[in-house]
Amino acid sequence: MNDKLLVETAVLAGEIMLISGAEIFRVEDTIDHILRKAGRDTAESIVFSTGIFASLNDPAIEAITVARRVTVRNTNLNRVYLVNNVSRKLCADLITVEEAYQQLKEIRGTVQFQKRLKDMGFVGVAVFFTLLLGGSARDCLAAAVTGAVLAGAAKLSVRIRLNDFCSNAFCAFLIAFTTLFLERWIWSGIKSDIIIIGAIMPLVPGVIFTTAIRDTLNGDYASGTARMMEAVVIALAVAAGVGAGMGLYQWLTGGSFLW
Amino acid sequence: MVIQTAGAFLAVISFSLLLEIPKKYFVLSGGIGAAGWLVYLLVQAAAGSVIAAAFLSSLLVALSSHIAARIYKAPVTVFLVAGILPSVPGASIYRSVSCVISNNPELSSHYLVETLQISGAIAMAIFIMDSLFRLGKKK
Repeated sequence: MNDKLLVETAVLAGEIMLISGAEIFRVEDTIDHILRKAGRDTAESIVFSTGIFASLNDPAIEAITVARRVTVRNTNLNRVYLVNNVSRKLCADLITVEEAYQQLKEIRGTVQFQKRLKDMGFVGVAVFFTLLLGGSARDCLAAAVTGAVLAGAAKLSVRIRLNDFCSNAFCAFLIAFTTLFLERWIWSGIKSDIIIIGAIMPLVPGVIFTTAIRDTLNGDYASGTARMMEAVVIALAVAAGVGAGMGLYQWLTGGSFLW
Repeated sequence: MVIQTAGAFLAVISFSLLLEIPKKYFVLSGGIGAAGWLVYLLVQAAAGSVIAAAFLSSLLVALSSHIAARIYKAPVTVFLVAGILPSVPGASIYRSVSCVISNNPELSSHYLVETLQISGAIAMAIFIMDSLFRLGKKK
């Protein structure tokens, strides 16, 4: 067995999982399982939310240690699922290390849905959350417009490389402002609060929060607190954005000389 | 209530698009989310408490996610994350901010506390289910 390739495979599997938003213990577990296939004395992995270290050692060989820094993160549960499958197959000896490495390389680039479909996702979340919170057909229609604005704002912030805090605040700001604007000038009588709540749902850090709890429970306190902090910061950004949007609207409509 | 549950089903499926949940589990995760929201509405109607509603619905979502993960041999996260989303306290965060804007600090801190309580309730529910399914599992 090629130890070097095995370590490389293990770290690649871990890296994809970590980037795609898996819990720390799952990443460590996957790397450990793959490394143990080598049958060496020590097979260790240490994973933080920002990086991976993996090491394989034995008196018979020179120690192999790999470190990998992870910067960009993007939730993609399909990749977590696929990597999990590959590692299962590898550990059950259904595929060789070479095959596993090749498959992992393919997984790193897989995208299930096109960008257009994802934009529809934003609109869908806004519309159906409005429905879920008890909105009427008119509310849902207004939510569709707000959702489209949100999708556009999300695209724009990626284009101009806005950092996470600013991009969340910017999206939330546009949501609040658009909805209030629609309520006043186009569809009076829509329930603006429900629509705003529905539209900020894609921004609210539900996923990060869930992962943070599970990390903390598993004893990965460093990553757990880091992710919890991330969730709090995102929530603050959304709150600040919505607040700014509502404030601006009030200021514009309150100072009637402007209009 | 039927319409709202259907809304939850479709909302979770739209969210699955954003989170890139594997295509074949779309309907299942939507179903888990809808069941969770139905429980949320029922508990809220019966007990009148948002926090109890969030707790019990998260408990159900976590339980069914663990079972689904065992059946389909997929990571628990795939089902859990999307199912939890309807009970995430986005509404309380919004109301808290909106009260600040409309000069009502007392109501604002009420909603802020509610946000924290709901988050705590969801966290407790996930904790409990994770711990239960961990029993007797070897390292």
